[in-house]
Amino acid sequence: MMAFELLEPASLKDAIALIDPDDPEVRPIAGGTALMLMMKAGVFRPRRLVSLRKLGEAFTCIAAVSAGELTIGAMAPLSALEHSPVVARGAPVIVRTLRRLSNVRVRNVATIGGALAHADPHMDLPPVLIALGATISVAGPDGERTMGVEELLTGYYETSLAKNELITQLHIPAQGEARAAYFKVTSGSADDWPSLGVAVALRAEGTIVKSARIVVSAATAKATRLKAAEAALIGAGADDKTLKKMADAAVDEADIIADLRGSASYKRELLRVYAARAVRSAMQTSGASL
Amino acid sequence: MATATLSGGQIGRSLPRLEGRDKVTGRAEYTHLMQLPGMLHAKIFRSTVAHGRIKSVDTSAARKVPGVYAVYTSDDVLNVIAEPYYGPAFHDQPILAIGKVHFVGEPVAVVLASDPHVADQAAQQIVAEYEELPAVFDEVEAAENKTLVHAELKPAGTFADLKHLKGRKGTNIALDFGLRRGDVDKAFASAPHVFEHTFRTQKVLHLPLEPHASIADYRDDGVTIYSSAQGPSFVRTEIARLLGWPENRVRIKVPYLGGGYGGKLYIKLEALALAMSMLARRPVKIAHTMEEHFYTITKHPTTFRIKSGVDQDGRITARKCEVWWNGGAYADIGPRVTQKSGFTASGPYDIDNVSIDSYALYTNLTPAGALRGFGIPQLVWAYESHTDMIARALKRDPLEFRKQNLLRDGQPQATGTILKDTAIEKVLDRIAERLNWKRPFDRGKGAVRRGRGFAVALKAVISPTTSVAIVNVSADGSTTLYCGTVDMGQGSDTAMAQMVGEVLNMPAESVRVVPRDTDVTPYDMGTLGSRSLFHMGLAVRLAAEEARAKIGDLRRELGEPEGSNAPLADLFRKKYGMQAGNIVGTGIYKPDYIPPDANGLTTNVTPFWMVAGSGVEIEVDTETGHVRISRLINVADVGKPINPKIVETQLSGASLMQLGFSMFEKMHIDGGQVTNASLADYKIPGMHDVPPVMENEIVDTYQTNGPFGAKGVGELATFGLSPAIANAIDDAVGVRLTELPLTAEAVFRALRAKDNKPLGDE
Repeated sequence: MMAFELLEPASLKDAIALIDPDDPEVRPIAGGTALMLMMKAGVFRPRRLVSLRKLGEAFTCIAAVSAGELTIGAMAPLSALEHSPVVARGAPVIVRTLRRLSNVRVRNVATIGGALAHADPHMDLPPVLIALGATISVAGPDGERTMGVEELLTGYYETSLAKNELITQLHIPAQGEARAAYFKVTSGSADDWPSLGVAVALRAEGTIVKSARIVVSAATAKATRLKAAEAALIGAGADDKTLKKMADAAVDEADIIADLRGSASYKRELLRVYAARAVRSAMQTSGASL
Repeated sequence: MATATLSGGQIGRSLPRLEGRDKVTGRAEYTHLMQLPGMLHAKIFRSTVAHGRIKSVDTSAARKVPGVYAVYTSDDVLNVIAEPYYGPAFHDQPILAIGKVHFVGEPVAVVLASDPHVADQAAQQIVAEYEELPAVFDEVEAAENKTLVHAELKPAGTFADLKHLKGRKGTNIALDFGLRRGDVDKAFASAPHVFEHTFRTQKVLHLPLEPHASIADYRDDGVTIYSSAQGPSFVRTEIARLLGWPENRVRIKVPYLGGGYGGKLYIKLEALALAMSMLARRPVKIAHTMEEHFYTITKHPTTFRIKSGVDQDGRITARKCEVWWNGGAYADIGPRVTQKSGFTASGPYDIDNVSIDSYALYTNLTPAGALRGFGIPQLVWAYESHTDMIARALKRDPLEFRKQNLLRDGQPQATGTILKDTAIEKVLDRIAERLNWKRPFDRGKGAVRRGRGFAVALKAVISPTTSVAIVNVSADGSTTLYCGTVDMGQGSDTAMAQMVGEVLNMPAESVRVVPRDTDVTPYDMGTLGSRSLFHMGLAVRLAAEEARAKIGDLRRELGEPEGSNAPLADLFRKKYGMQAGNIVGTGIYKPDYIPPDANGLTTNVTPFWMVAGSGVEIEVDTETGHVRISRLINVADVGKPINPKIVETQLSGASLMQLGFSMFEKMHIDGGQVTNASLADYKIPGMHDVPPVMENEIVDTYQTNGPFGAKGVGELATFGLSPAIANAIDDAVGVRLTELPLTAEAVFRALRAKDNKPLGDE
């Protein structure tokens, strides 16, 4: 790792201005848990890093706005979400997910915005946020725009952000009676990156599922909604027969890839099992408590 | 007040580690953190091919990086050291690759700079060209000698049984140990039941949290090397040999180690640091990154073909063992592992006809050495899986079948050495009692099935090895111990201080244990193979006893009445007229040993036997193959524990380390390239992997010839865990895994194969 310029702008406008979209050696840095590993490995050699740490409280604030919607500053550390009573009330599945996300040292440093912008498909929060219908605010030289987390992630470590756009806020819509579950499935150590992630958020009346979002991650190039599986579930009861149909649909539509953490054929079987388990788990969860 | 002959009350005391406070408050000294004035940092440029002739190494761009002091290759090393090859068993490992590279990651060039980041950056600018040569990676394939790793074998001459390999060409076999007892072929021919299975283990790492680090400070009249080494005496001998110097011009200093597990044994970075300091004429530090563990030393992958004959009464009449050890590109201590563990490859069973062939093989992979068990865990994995499979096939209770065939004290082990002070049956019985083996077991329902399994093992400690200790009583009565045992986390400083305190009747906390420094601390073979507590312990006790005898002489000389407890300081003052003088006691221990004959037989293979076993209760998720260990039991025969609390943490630590090797750790290798060479992709067990119930039991025994009845501990709980889990998986769901690690996918695939619905390989 060689010497580089580290800038710590105090305003978003300055930060954006300091990022040269045409120079791959200039990048923003949030928590740095991923970027520093790339720098240590020599994969990324910066000329300039633009730290977002001094942008101010607005960028780390976690708040419930009207009707239970959550607004989270992009620079909020993951552990702040983990321990936030606001998050625990508004989207308890996030708190449950964070408990087994990486380790406490990473959670204390990594930020929610950095995690989303990094777009590593093995991450635990993107599938959960997609299932919850979360959106992000993005700022660039030409102003602000919003998009769904689903639209943010376009491929393996790829996003729809321009090089000089920064995520500023995460918005999680009010969940009301929605129930959600996430399973991190590891094939080795419990601390390992997952072989498979499955997130489910659904609304049900009695035993009938009214709406559902099912998202697969880790085993795919990006966190991906499984719409055929959702369709198989919506309007039906979460009985064994429906769940089997839903799980088979999930396996058919997911583009599963092999890696060190499992063959594609094995991960497909994991998805078949865990898609059903995630729906069952969500059905057993009440939307409002941990 | 006690007299000198009474117990000092130090043995059996669960004294907290003497260095514990310094470690948890960040004050303890580690080589990795040390700095010397004027020191340069070295960064290594490594081979990217598994086997190849070096056509060129272009260092020009690296030399131009601002801040670079120098860039060196083997051409430079050859200018200062004529024969720059090192190793404990073979002098086969070059300081930097000469002419050829033999594995991916082999050091080819070194950049020196005052700033390690500059050195690192410059090392990335070096370009090497290779003419690639055919490579061999599998140990069984290597034994066919079709692709050769080295043109000629170069045994070090240290070990008598390797001498016949000197100059041998056309082979990858660095040692072939054979043992023949009775006639296995005849016994197989007449046995009503014959079973044969093949087991494999994977390539895994020691992964101490402090990576290897060495600092060499070379001067014309002597060299000092600070190193994270498990055996300072051996490092000194080897450095003196490379320099052609007497040993007293070579000083090796070893502070605390952040773990070792066998990976820091013998000589590792010290020779390279020496050569760099000779060339640069400045102190040079090499401190590995975590990633460089993957290119330094590993555990041996193995293939073990095991065959047993059983008579109509269930007695094992014959066992044939063929073991291939994948030693990687340089022998390191592999030939020792091959022979010493080979002695007990047939297990803790009373078998009349035994044949063992154990082969150390060169391959084009990162070298392999000793890893917490000196090869025993690989062997137990095979023989305790195999023994369980036989019991199940014969519809015998696995406990009763083992007990019927178990070796007991007074019986000869396969080598012919009589078993003494071994609690094998007691260990086995205690595991079974804790598992409630005789009682019905809840086998689970639905997708989750429960099972239990166990395994028991025997090891002959490596012999013969020597330890020397000095105890120095100062004029104020305070006492200092000088011993070369390296405390790498196992608590040896505390245990040694307890032994001194016991003999000299003083609290262990008051005994100063001098950090290892070959200018000061006397010879020791090395901190390896669970030998230190026994060997160094006996030397320490002898040294303390000699000091005590001299104190007694002094009391008599000064006319003190028998049984006097006059303070030591008073004795010195009376003798020398002031606070002056010393009493020095020395102790040397080397066990008797008879080398094996042409048939691998000997009546004295070891000074003590190591015995331990593990039992587990597990849950298998039959829909995914996930195995959850719900209860883990380790039972060990440690003789009399010197410090029971430290013994327990040694057992739990070893067991959790083996849990990683059993369940998921694996270096993934593709064409000789390690594809998961980082801690992001190679995971060791974390807190979430610790079983909810873990029990460690020390059986009540006494090692007659040990120091205060004690014997070695460090490796014990690694022995039996892997087969215990595999046996429990079979018990739970009726599938048998014969290759480590026991991943969820491996279990799932076996379940599908059993149901005739094999899973595709895609």
